[in-house]
Amino acid sequence: MILAVTVGVLTAGGVYLLLQRSMVRAVFGLTLISHAANFALLASGVPAWRGEPLADRTDIAVAADPLPQAFVLTAIVITLAVTIFMLAMAVLGHDDDQYRTPETGEAHQQ
Amino acid sequence: MTGLVTLALLAGLVALTPVVTALAGRASGWLIGAVYVAAAIAFIPATQAVLAGDTPEWALPWMPALNVELAFRIDGIGVVFTHIALLIGAAVLFYSTHYLDKGRNLSFYWLMVAFTFSMVALVLTNDLVVLFIAWELTSLASFMLIARSGSSGEAPSFRTLLITFIGGVLLLVAVGFIIAFTGTTNIVAALTDPFWAANPAATTAVALLVAIAAMTKSAQFPFHTWLPDAMAAATPVSAYLHAAAVVKAGIFLLIRFSPAFHTTPAWNGLLITAGLITTALGGWFALNQADLKKLMAYSTVSQLGLIVAAIGVGSELALAAAVFHVIAHALFKSGLFMMVGVVDHIGHTRMFGRIPQLFRVAPISFAVTIIGTASMAGIPPLLGFASKETVFMALRETPGAAALGWLALIAGAAASVLTFAYCAKIVFGSFVDGPEVPAEKLGHEDRVMLTFAALPILASVPLAFMLPTLEKLVVPAAAAALPGTDPHPHLALWHGISPELIASALIIAAGIVIILIRQRAWEFFTAATLPFNGADVIDVITRLLSRLGARATRLIGDERGAPHAAAIVGLMTVVSIGGLATVLADHELPAAQANLSRPIDFVLLGLIGFSVIAVCFSRSRMTATVALSAIGILATIQIMAIGAPDVTLTQLLVEAMTIIVIMLVLQKLPRTFWKYPKRMQIRRGVLAILAGIGVGGMTWAMAGRRERSDIAMWYLNEAPEISGGNNIVNVILVEFRALDTFGELTVLGMAGIAIVAVMSTVRDKYIDPPASEVPEMPRRPWIVLRPRGSMAHRAVSLAWPNVVAMQLMVRIVGPILAITSALIFWRGHNEPGGGFIAALVGSAIVGLLYMSTSKDRAIGPPRAPLFLIGGGVLVALLTGIVGLIFAGSFLEPIHGYILGEHFSTSLIFDVGVYMAVVGLILVSFNLLGTSDSAFTPAGDDVLYLGEMHRDVVDHERTRERTDEMVHGELAGPMENMRGEPPTAEDYFREESDHTRLSRSSRHIGSGTQMKERGE
Repeated sequence: MILAVTVGVLTAGGVYLLLQRSMVRAVFGLTLISHAANFALLASGVPAWRGEPLADRTDIAVAADPLPQAFVLTAIVITLAVTIFMLAMAVLGHDDDQYRTPETGEAHQQ
Repeated sequence: MTGLVTLALLAGLVALTPVVTALAGRASGWLIGAVYVAAAIAFIPATQAVLAGDTPEWALPWMPALNVELAFRIDGIGVVFTHIALLIGAAVLFYSTHYLDKGRNLSFYWLMVAFTFSMVALVLTNDLVVLFIAWELTSLASFMLIARSGSSGEAPSFRTLLITFIGGVLLLVAVGFIIAFTGTTNIVAALTDPFWAANPAATTAVALLVAIAAMTKSAQFPFHTWLPDAMAAATPVSAYLHAAAVVKAGIFLLIRFSPAFHTTPAWNGLLITAGLITTALGGWFALNQADLKKLMAYSTVSQLGLIVAAIGVGSELALAAAVFHVIAHALFKSGLFMMVGVVDHIGHTRMFGRIPQLFRVAPISFAVTIIGTASMAGIPPLLGFASKETVFMALRETPGAAALGWLALIAGAAASVLTFAYCAKIVFGSFVDGPEVPAEKLGHEDRVMLTFAALPILASVPLAFMLPTLEKLVVPAAAAALPGTDPHPHLALWHGISPELIASALIIAAGIVIILIRQRAWEFFTAATLPFNGADVIDVITRLLSRLGARATRLIGDERGAPHAAAIVGLMTVVSIGGLATVLADHELPAAQANLSRPIDFVLLGLIGFSVIAVCFSRSRMTATVALSAIGILATIQIMAIGAPDVTLTQLLVEAMTIIVIMLVLQKLPRTFWKYPKRMQIRRGVLAILAGIGVGGMTWAMAGRRERSDIAMWYLNEAPEISGGNNIVNVILVEFRALDTFGELTVLGMAGIAIVAVMSTVRDKYIDPPASEVPEMPRRPWIVLRPRGSMAHRAVSLAWPNVVAMQLMVRIVGPILAITSALIFWRGHNEPGGGFIAALVGSAIVGLLYMSTSKDRAIGPPRAPLFLIGGGVLVALLTGIVGLIFAGSFLEPIHGYILGEHFSTSLIFDVGVYMAVVGLILVSFNLLGTSDSAFTPAGDDVLYLGEMHRDVVDHERTRERTDEMVHGELAGPMENMRGEPPTAEDYFREESDHTRLSRSSRHIGSGTQMKERGE
């Protein structure tokens, strides 16, 4: 199954980026990993059946499994939310590529 | 159903209290107290039934699958504690009408009522799960009643919460064990189960859990520290919760569970030891106190210790004694607590030595206090004397050697000398020994407060002479605690010359000596104190734990790159590759389905592979972003090729939104990524490739090797029929698995709120530091422009002429997009579309509006995003509740036809989804799009003397925007970091000489004149 290879490639790229220190790169990495996860989910619906699951248009004999599609749709939107959140954190202090925790003005207990 | 009226009255009161307090202010206490009395009267039939030997029961189904019921069973224990909760509660509420400051006092009354309701539910329930929930509710109410007293209550309330919740967790574990061991949640059935007699080890473990849980609530050593802490709460709260109710919940729990554990040696030993230690320590600490109210708190600790010790003895007489002392203590201690408030009102202080000499000024208070403390000290012929004598008799029945009984009695008696001493300190310290202060400097003796403070104390006086009547109340409680017994405690003031009487006489004699040498005694005790208190101990423990936490964080901390991610990914890789190897070694995989791959998959794999390499190795952020968006589009095509039209549309639109947000973020960040040493990158690369092989291999091995699942076929065959919608994916989202979607939209909304929450804890200068503090300095533009003022300069450096075309376009495209969005929304039920997709199309309008303004300004009113998010979640929730009420299941849709069109409530649910999505997009545009980009030669930056400079003087900045989402229009960024509300100064700050621009974008829709400043 070619899709499995695509999943592997996306995961490899995603993990590589996730391990970088730059927050933006890590976010990019998570985006790739979530693409990979979505494909893996869709693959679980067995991509031998690829008909759109629309009852009035597609013959059930060729219709794809709708449940993974619903899961993936949910996952995509959650990825959007998490990505935006992480990007907002990355922009604090206008520097995402640093060793220290960004300054907040609050004293931290060490 | 007798007794249900009482619970129903209290539940109704919980619902109505906000209305009552809005109308009556602090006088609400009269009405609420009256309802308490009514509830107590309504409880009389149940009481009579119990006294006649009956136990009324009823149950409503709650969680049938788990056999959990809203089961109630009224027995002797419940009767005693219910009456205490209601009658003392009523007196305290009447008292509060004059104690509280004028005003609504909603939180006070509401929490008090909620507390009473949960307390009564706790003592009447016959189901372990309900018992646990009611127990936690009393803890929560107690916590909030302390926390509401402002900053002085903050730390104490958290310490209280910590200790009582430790108890709560232990109780939960105990309840879990009990249910697991006995197979029932019914309390009576569980506690009388033969399991307990047969398994001493398990019984001991559960008994200890229950005992410790009760000890945390009843403030037994070493958990006693929360009670003195809780004195930060208002005096009525202390009089009710910390004398009569919440602390008695622990006592109640011990009595309730006595049927199973009263013969367990660990139970007896722990309770007697802890109880006696507590009673002695509490007495000693009480004498250390300089604050009258703190003294009362420690005195409660001490008295509770005596009760716990009696319960620990576990005999018939002992349990009767415990119940008897509970009643006596509730009466005199709640009254005395309220007297503290009276004294405080007259003398304006609670500190010994400063409280004026009050017995001349307030003779009635003086008399009432004497009666109350005399009862507590155990002076005949008062109720406290009789109950303490009974407890002493009980202590002599301590299981084990006879000597142990004598030892317990001596310990109890010795502690009672301390009791006598602090009682004397209360009376002499607050009425006799104080400085003489002229009457005009004193407050007045409030009649109402005094009346209701005196009521419980004076009520106990005749009770002491009606002990046979009182016994009728005590005996059923003791019998319920020891099923199958028939206790005859013979409560009486006079038992003949007995060891207990001699003990009492000795206590009184010692006490009189202490009174005579009291000045020296008080000095001794004030000095004889530990250098730390319980609060300090908790603080030390907390500090140690946070240091440990900081240590642990350092292991995975960000200063070392991403080892935490490496650890997770590495483990996952081990599991996936290892698992794959094991599976392949031992098993033949089922044959893969034919026709799993299509030619387009190859093409997409190639393109995706190329783009992934570009994202990974490009040092330019812009290039990486372009490659990332390419992957997004390729993924979209791949999804379309798999046959998922809804997912395709969503992915496409999400991709667009993500890229726009990334661009907003990139404008504020350096242009390139850092360069890392090759060796480090190679290690990362190896791990990444291994992870890719693992995950890809798993997908290959596990997917595509079966027919379509049963559930897939079920959805394909049945879903259109059941839901009336042809788009099966959409009906799964909004109908079949709507709870998932509900969770999803909550996550979506939370992301937006979390951004606001985090940003509002960071100071403006750290969110948007000056360009000089960012690693990349402002750079020179690539092309040298003509001088300022020339047309060429304006054409490039001025934004507003560049967006005119865009603004004109928005006026046409905006409405078209809105209509498209509405259409997509409507058709989602049958064809690709639905709330998410429609909302993302709608968000495109937001994006266009944002891009068509020449200067950054918030899209929409300042608070709109949060209202949209909150409103969206609320709409979805309400739809769910409508389904729960009318269709019998949360979020179950209701179908109908309006004007011939099929319509279902899932459409309203989709509105909620729509709102939350738009809310999140608004948050991200308005917060991340603020135009203080530090160094990009675009937008509003100006070229001056050949260098780009920021031109953000009259712009809102990120922090200001953040605060405005919560508080509305402000004059500038707030300086706080802990979410304090804005001050008047934050709203109206002195304007700079720049004319502030109208910050809304409304003019674009209306087409009126732009209020912008040109050059």
